[in-house]
Amino acid sequence: MKERLKMKKVFSKLFLLAVCLTMVLSACAPKPTPTATATPAPVTQPPVVVPTATQPPAPTEIAPADIELWASGRVTEAAPPPDDWIAYTKIKDELKVNLKLVLLPSTQSDQDTKINAAAASNSLPDVFFVSRDTWFKLVGAGLIAKVDDLLPLMPVRTASHYSDPDRNRLVTVDGAMYGLPDPGAMPMTDGLVIRQDWLDKLGLKAPTTTDEFLTVAKAFTNDDPDGNGKKDTYGFCAFVDGSGLTAMGVGPRFDWIYGAFGVAGIFDLSSAANFGLNVRKDAYMQATQFIRTLNEEGVIDPDWPTLKKDEFRARWKQGSCGMMHENFAALSTQSNYKAFDENFPNGFWSVLVPPKGPNGDSADGTVILSARIYAISQRAIDAGKGPAIARLLEWMANDEGYYLLGFGEKGVNYNLDANGNITLDGLPDPAKAWTKAEMQPLTQLANMVYIFTPVELNARYPSYTAASGRQMDPLSYYTSFTKQPYTQATGSAIVNPPSNAADFTRFYSENIAKFVLGQEPLNADTWAAFITGLDGLGAKDLETNAKQTLMSAGFLE
Amino acid sequence: MMRTHIKSWDNLIFQAVVNGFLLTILIAITIPIWRVFMMSITPLSWKDNGTFGLWIPPWQWSFEAYRELFKHPAFAQATYNSAIITLGGTLISIVLTTALAYVLSNPKLPGRKAMMMFILVPFLFQAGLIPTYMVVQKLGLVNNLFAIMLPGAIGVTNTFVMKGFFEGLPEELEEAARLDGANDLQVLWHVILPLSKPILLTISLFYAVALWNEFFSPILYLNDNKLMPLPVLLRNILLAANINEYIESDAFSNAPIQAFKAASVFITMLPMVAIYPWIQRYFTKGTLLGGVKE
Repeated sequence: MKERLKMKKVFSKLFLLAVCLTMVLSACAPKPTPTATATPAPVTQPPVVVPTATQPPAPTEIAPADIELWASGRVTEAAPPPDDWIAYTKIKDELKVNLKLVLLPSTQSDQDTKINAAAASNSLPDVFFVSRDTWFKLVGAGLIAKVDDLLPLMPVRTASHYSDPDRNRLVTVDGAMYGLPDPGAMPMTDGLVIRQDWLDKLGLKAPTTTDEFLTVAKAFTNDDPDGNGKKDTYGFCAFVDGSGLTAMGVGPRFDWIYGAFGVAGIFDLSSAANFGLNVRKDAYMQATQFIRTLNEEGVIDPDWPTLKKDEFRARWKQGSCGMMHENFAALSTQSNYKAFDENFPNGFWSVLVPPKGPNGDSADGTVILSARIYAISQRAIDAGKGPAIARLLEWMANDEGYYLLGFGEKGVNYNLDANGNITLDGLPDPAKAWTKAEMQPLTQLANMVYIFTPVELNARYPSYTAASGRQMDPLSYYTSFTKQPYTQATGSAIVNPPSNAADFTRFYSENIAKFVLGQEPLNADTWAAFITGLDGLGAKDLETNAKQTLMSAGFLE
Repeated sequence: MMRTHIKSWDNLIFQAVVNGFLLTILIAITIPIWRVFMMSITPLSWKDNGTFGLWIPPWQWSFEAYRELFKHPAFAQATYNSAIITLGGTLISIVLTTALAYVLSNPKLPGRKAMMMFILVPFLFQAGLIPTYMVVQKLGLVNNLFAIMLPGAIGVTNTFVMKGFFEGLPEELEEAARLDGANDLQVLWHVILPLSKPILLTISLFYAVALWNEFFSPILYLNDNKLMPLPVLLRNILLAANINEYIESDAFSNAPIQAFKAASVFITMLPMVAIYPWIQRYFTKGTLLGGVKE
């Protein structure tokens, strides 16, 4: 009886809780989003006044529109912009656009899943960030609209974001652009660097050829360049970076070696006549042999095949590495350089011009211009939202939108110095500086506005004085890297992986690793057997299809 | 005497092997949790060398990462959302599952086999993601927390475990109640449920753990970032790019990022770890009784 009463009480409480929860949940549920057909913009709109920095549009001339934007946030772990974000107000008041912003999940596969589900139910948002593979499928399904007609409505953005022919080719199908290819990752950010203090101590000069590289690497490994009396240094440090078709083999950290032999990158994209897998060339085998020699001579950190990126970076900060291929920001920005500076106040990394190979070739790596593709749904265009979308995107490219989305509110999150550079000086509340973690929600859409202008780069990569007193300028590394030779390989980004891509890349990478690590003899016969194995996995079909794709997109002539 | 001696030796060896095996499992489980905890209390000023050990002296412990996490603008909202999803979803699930399991446990139910097939076939041959999404969308549940709670509200496995438990209860109890004039609902409420506390708590725990850890449905069905639960925030934190490659930010250097990630993992794990011992005494009883049919 007692037990029954107890149970009764428990269940009564549970039901009460259920009622409360239902009320809370109902309160939590957002108001239904107006559908595209609920408030369509008139098909025959009055001429749209394109907003510029100096001429805001007259509100009376513009029909209001609801725009749903699915964007990829700049900082995945940060919160979305707050409801009272000033940009929402300005966009609403000045552009007559009710912006509904959705930050996509952090991984590409999750983003693809969400977008594919929305596409299957014909509920794609008006504007959305999308990976190229998914974009290509959606274009084929007729769910993504052409944007050629919108470009004249946003002249500033078109000039600053969509004027690179290579990048535009990434979103071109049958001569028409079906997406907005915003600049992706900065190109040429990674390059070779060398410990100048070690060179000076051993009385050596920076290597200019692969043979000299080997000589210097041996000295760095065997001659105690740090003077600690221990054999704890290596001439070269690296790790296997990247994955997928464009990073097969030992990855981009070794691309400079293939560049020295004239075969950087997976494909030869120099012309239609030369097109094919670089691995078919003798020079590729010779470059692989050179890496094998580095390995056999013990001048490369032996853990390189299994090192993770963070572990690799820990090694050079601990003083193990004499030369490496590193990202300029990972090398030299304040928080990244701090540990190295504390450990080696007299240490210094110089930019190393990529050594030349036997035929005088050299390349610091490959350049793959990446694009952050924003697509406009056909549904949005059919609902007459095109001009409103153009208004919004153009505003983002103008001064007001650029600074607001890229750096926050002037006088609150940033200031401009006399030269027009972003500065944190004079902010009333330094805790609200745009660089602070708490302010990251305000710049979640920065990737839609960043175009790598000098002002932007100076703000993102400021110079500083390290604890050792050394004046550090990360951008000087970047500028030096961009002056080195690189092999253009943007086209490889649009090569569609074969259906057996996983098997193909695994076979390719495993065999190169075996050759390099000495687990397999490296000679003409074993190399030919390797190529035969690749052909057995469809290498020739891959080349044929890739050539066709590249030619239709204009990457090969 | 001799046989008893041998028996006790056998027993001792058996116990030693079993305990040794369990101890190994315990260590294997504890070490990662301990390491995550140690990482989470790494001082933000820790000199980064890319490695985190299993021990930091207590005088160096720092809870700055937790403070940073609690200050995170999305953390409180995400925790609240997770609590709503877990409590609300568990309640909905347990009510619906209990009702279904009770009905199916009645051998005299007309069309019982057909109902079982109706439940089993979609369980074995699922329609897939897109049809489910379309159903949720047509029901107007996209961007609503019910989209997380309702589609998986009735777990088929849980239903059958509970049904097995109900079938194991003595029929005489139900008959006695009916002789006293109780109807089906009264029998369920006054007789069956009071006797089913172990299975109710066990199945509730299953649902609660699944709902607490749910991250796929939220990213699929929720568009409003303010509705996102804790696992989505945790995933975003864990997958965060190394921000300092792109921007100079004094709050996130390499070590704090690791500490921050570890703190978020630990906090997310804590409620379920804390609740388990409380329910444990019912756990074995519930699953065993429900899983075995006489």
